Amino acid sequence: MINYIPILNILILILFSFIIIIVKNNKKVKFISLASNIFVFFLSIILARKVLTQNIITLSLGDPNNLLGIEFLISKPEAVIGLIFTFVMVMILWYSNFYLEKEVSENRISFFYLLINILLASLLGVIYTNDLFNSYVFIEISTLSACGIIILKDKKENIKATIKYLIMSTIGSGLVLMAIAYIYSITGHLNISNIHEIIITNYQFHRNAVLIILGLFTVGLGIKSAVFPLHSWLPDAHSSAPTPASAVLSALVIKVYVFMLIKILFRMFSYEIVNSFIIMDIILLLGSMGMIFGSIMAIMQKELKRMVAYSSVAQMGYIVFGIGLGTISGTAIAIYHIIGHAVTKSSLFLISGLLIDKTGSKKIEDLKGIGKEMPFTLGLFTLGAFSMVGIPILPGFISKWYLSLTCIEVGRVPLILIILASSLLNVLYYFPIVINGYFGNDNLEGKIYKAKKIPFINLLPIILLVISMVVIGGMSYNLIGLFNI
Amino acid sequence: MERDIILKEIGKILIPLVQLFGIYVIINGHLSPGGGFSGGTILGTSLIIMHLIYGENFIKNLYSKKKLILIISISLIFYTLIKGYSFLSTELNLPHPPIGNPGNILSSGFILPLNIAVGLLVASIFYVIFSIFIRDEV
Repeated sequence: MINYIPILNILILILFSFIIIIVKNNKKVKFISLASNIFVFFLSIILARKVLTQNIITLSLGDPNNLLGIEFLISKPEAVIGLIFTFVMVMILWYSNFYLEKEVSENRISFFYLLINILLASLLGVIYTNDLFNSYVFIEISTLSACGIIILKDKKENIKATIKYLIMSTIGSGLVLMAIAYIYSITGHLNISNIHEIIITNYQFHRNAVLIILGLFTVGLGIKSAVFPLHSWLPDAHSSAPTPASAVLSALVIKVYVFMLIKILFRMFSYEIVNSFIIMDIILLLGSMGMIFGSIMAIMQKELKRMVAYSSVAQMGYIVFGIGLGTISGTAIAIYHIIGHAVTKSSLFLISGLLIDKTGSKKIEDLKGIGKEMPFTLGLFTLGAFSMVGIPILPGFISKWYLSLTCIEVGRVPLILIILASSLLNVLYYFPIVINGYFGNDNLEGKIYKAKKIPFINLLPIILLVISMVVIGGMSYNLIGLFNI
Repeated sequence: MERDIILKEIGKILIPLVQLFGIYVIINGHLSPGGGFSGGTILGTSLIIMHLIYGENFIKNLYSKKKLILIISISLIFYTLIKGYSFLSTELNLPHPPIGNPGNILSSGFILPLNIAVGLLVASIFYVIFSIFIRDEV
């Protein structure tokens, strides 16, 4: 029965999302949504335990002999990513149960939970599937439901941001579909493992076509995962969405597409094929540019949520950088950073939602002296910021450290300077908030200690996220060992 | 707005025929060209024509917003359950409905109930989209 957990996860989420529409009472809606997500989280734990002991699970749907190639394949990275994503989603839903009324009108709340359930189902689908066309379908579902949760707030900026996101990600999925059509016309398969078997022997005869396919996949999935020059939709969408939605978008949605890119580059093609094309150097260049320019643009922002959103662009740069190195260890660190950043960025977004709600202002400069009024909340923010900057033990440091080691391993030592510069730039935009919040006589004047305290029970999901962040940092050696694609 | 009497009388004759044809396309979907989606669009069109000829109050009494959402969600839940069962049952060797004789209406297992669910869903969604464009709500 454990083998069927991937399909059960998706079915349960979709089933409960449709039950949510019928239920009128908002409290019941919240309960149903949270309960279904917690159930899926426990199923993911069972799945991860099974995969970690047994190595790999394949599940072919509707066809025992797998002639159609419609298949789920769960190896260790998929299982761990699925586990962490469901965990983050449970925490975000817990948080939104008491927060969402502040930003979304009463009659739209059930739509949020409906869309969140469909979104998580489609994200898990993209992670688990081993079939290109199914992954395309899941990508489309996730895009549409992501647009839905941005537009829930019904303000001018939300509509503008959603239309921008919709247009850009439609272009992205169009490119992905075109790439799938190309690869199908070359190999005659849609199953990633079957394509791998054929393309590994025949790619010399189709070098140009393979290059086009690689380019289409990189740009198409790059638009959706906000790789640097294609990121322009992200700051608007992520900063204008309701806070739980921005946490979901920034922590989970953009990661899934980059993981899909990893699967395509290294599982469908292989390290050998991919490294013989110019594409890896371009991916490396895009990653480095994202690391530097994403941070520079984050420094220039005056609004808190926009700053955190631009920081996502920089952190996506790290993931793409890890892919671009084109080695097994580089990919393992990219996957590790997907997990670490999912936990860190969701907690940062949730905290900034609380800060904005309590101070009543989106601006960073109004947060001066907030450390005296909300010491514990800002303390959690500080831990997240430490991880982003790269203080040891926390996941941000681990990925920077191993990325540098991999750079030395492949003989590209100058690239370490980019990692170093990016961390220093991260300091420039995260630390002013922390320092102005806690220190400075002018800043603290007239502020009352713990005046804007938040009940402990409301902070609990964020605390759990931060604890899991530290745990992921501490277990980094074991985790990175699992991520071999 | 009061419509012409000719339109109303012709509508009384033609709309049942349109609906009958839609139901035929849905139920015959596994035997001939057509199926849930195409039959559903025909049914949805008949709802739109009713709205245009007899006014919105007529159709509001027939299908209120509550009823439409109920139809949509129940057919989706039904689809998810049946399709999920058919995914799982092939692997777990659970009982299957008989395939029957090719050419009979009651044949080919799960396809007929799935087509009916899709048809109801598509018909309701078509009317919902139309009414969102007409008066900004369902």
